[in-house]
Amino acid sequence: MIAFLRFEIVRTLRNVRFLIMLIAFPVLLYLIYAKQQGISQGLTVATLLLVSMAVYSGMGSAMFASGPQLARERHNGWMRQLRISPITTPGWFAAKLVQSVLMIIPGLAVLVVLALTYGHVQLAAGRLGTLVVIIVAGTIPFCTAGLVIGLMFDSQTAQVAQMITLLVLAFLGGIFISWSSLPSGMQTVGKLLPSYHLAQLGWNAAAGRPLGMSHVAALAAWTVGLGAIAAWRWRQESTAA
Amino acid sequence: MFHNVTKVYNGRVTALDHVSFEIPRGATVALLGPNGAGKSTAIDTMLGLRKPTSGVVRVLGMTPAAAVAAGQIGGMVQTGGLPDGAKVSELIALFRQLYHGSRSQADLLRLAGLTDIADRRVEQLSGGQTQRVRFALALAGRPDLLFLDEPTAALDVEARRSFWQSVQTIAGQGTTVLFATHYLDEADANASRIIVVSHGRIMADGTPSQIKAYTSVRIIRFSTATPDTSALLRLPGVNDVVASGDAVAIRSGDADATLPALYALGGPVRGLEVGGGGLEEALIALTGGGAAGQGEPGGRAAGVSNSSDMTRVG
Repeated sequence: MIAFLRFEIVRTLRNVRFLIMLIAFPVLLYLIYAKQQGISQGLTVATLLLVSMAVYSGMGSAMFASGPQLARERHNGWMRQLRISPITTPGWFAAKLVQSVLMIIPGLAVLVVLALTYGHVQLAAGRLGTLVVIIVAGTIPFCTAGLVIGLMFDSQTAQVAQMITLLVLAFLGGIFISWSSLPSGMQTVGKLLPSYHLAQLGWNAAAGRPLGMSHVAALAAWTVGLGAIAAWRWRQESTAA
Repeated sequence: MFHNVTKVYNGRVTALDHVSFEIPRGATVALLGPNGAGKSTAIDTMLGLRKPTSGVVRVLGMTPAAAVAAGQIGGMVQTGGLPDGAKVSELIALFRQLYHGSRSQADLLRLAGLTDIADRRVEQLSGGQTQRVRFALALAGRPDLLFLDEPTAALDVEARRSFWQSVQTIAGQGTTVLFATHYLDEADANASRIIVVSHGRIMADGTPSQIKAYTSVRIIRFSTATPDTSALLRLPGVNDVVASGDAVAIRSGDADATLPALYALGGPVRGLEVGGGGLEEALIALTGGGAAGQGEPGGRAAGVSNSSDMTRVG
């Protein structure tokens, strides 16, 4: 499994253009808005936006690292080749999860550096450390979401499905616009989404407030639920076809 | 072992219809048949990529899944793509690490003819090169049993020759090889046994020379005023005669002998046509289908498999 993980990381890192595109959008948004003045949720705009963009970049990287690529490789037959090798299903899933978690690190690192320099964000090392851990661990449900999309959609539609999912998560989860300014129906839906819970955890960590175990529980529930769907689809594909 | 296996897709298309065969260890066997005959379905089933609708499949005495997990079988499946972004050498190194007791990197590159392109990225490879990489991956774990599904489809003549040379090297080391092809020549040159499949059934199972004998079958058609079926049946080489009205179809294993004798009968023979040769016609001869009627073709190949005999692969 380690060999497979290393192989997957090496070939993904080689796709530099893909990596830059993943990072470019949240970084650009940060550059545009971080200089605005104001306080919200007890945080300066530059700090608030660091969390929002880190969540957005993390969700995007985690999902794009696995989903469309997986759909493409199910289509072109690489997955069939892997299925007749001794690599185990849990080993494959674990490697894919670790791979997508690692994929979020470049974007997160760029955003943190940008926030500390360009944004003049002042965060105690403890708070910043907690924030980084939360973002990295908190993207796991989005990794499983990427796997689900990669297993449900074909190579053409996976990209679009991924994009739509990401935008819905970002808007209804309160990352692009303040959650409280959404219509009440959308607020209700938004409050169920993992993006909402991850952003809340991030802001709480940055502000030094209690994190809120309900948010952690919600993210865990999403991980388990999406993981079960992915496992079901995987089994379905290996037996029915 | 492939015992009484049936595979039905979507409850409608029957890809394998009560197929049974057994392959002894160390043999090199060809599955020969036209596209859509069920060859790939059979191979996918033995690799555990598909589950049979009914019947039992055992490879090396295990279920396909167990044999795959144990790393004892290798396969080149028909649609086996490669992942973008990887180099040839990295892919081969990965597969070597997935198996215990794998072949050396240098051996694999040499067997598959990849030494010169080891540093290429997968997306830069031609179709034939991709196919050779998949061959290397199939060999990586030094499998006891190797499945090759139309392995030379994208290869040019030169690559084909070195490919089969490598297969022979591997077979010489004791690996059992089962390959699918729709070229009789390829099956003839590289297998010690040919299993002919068509429409999900085994049509014949024998040595290459037994199978090739079927390609000499010709179908002779003509019109004559009053066909004398029993006289026609006595002509040399004739296996079967079907007459309807004034149209006659004769199935002959030796058309060169049949034709002069037919004219020697003296009756009026009009619009004579001789058809046949090639695998398709051999299959028609074997199945007893086609315009010549449903008569049982004379002299089936040795060991034609009816659906119920127990079989074992490896």
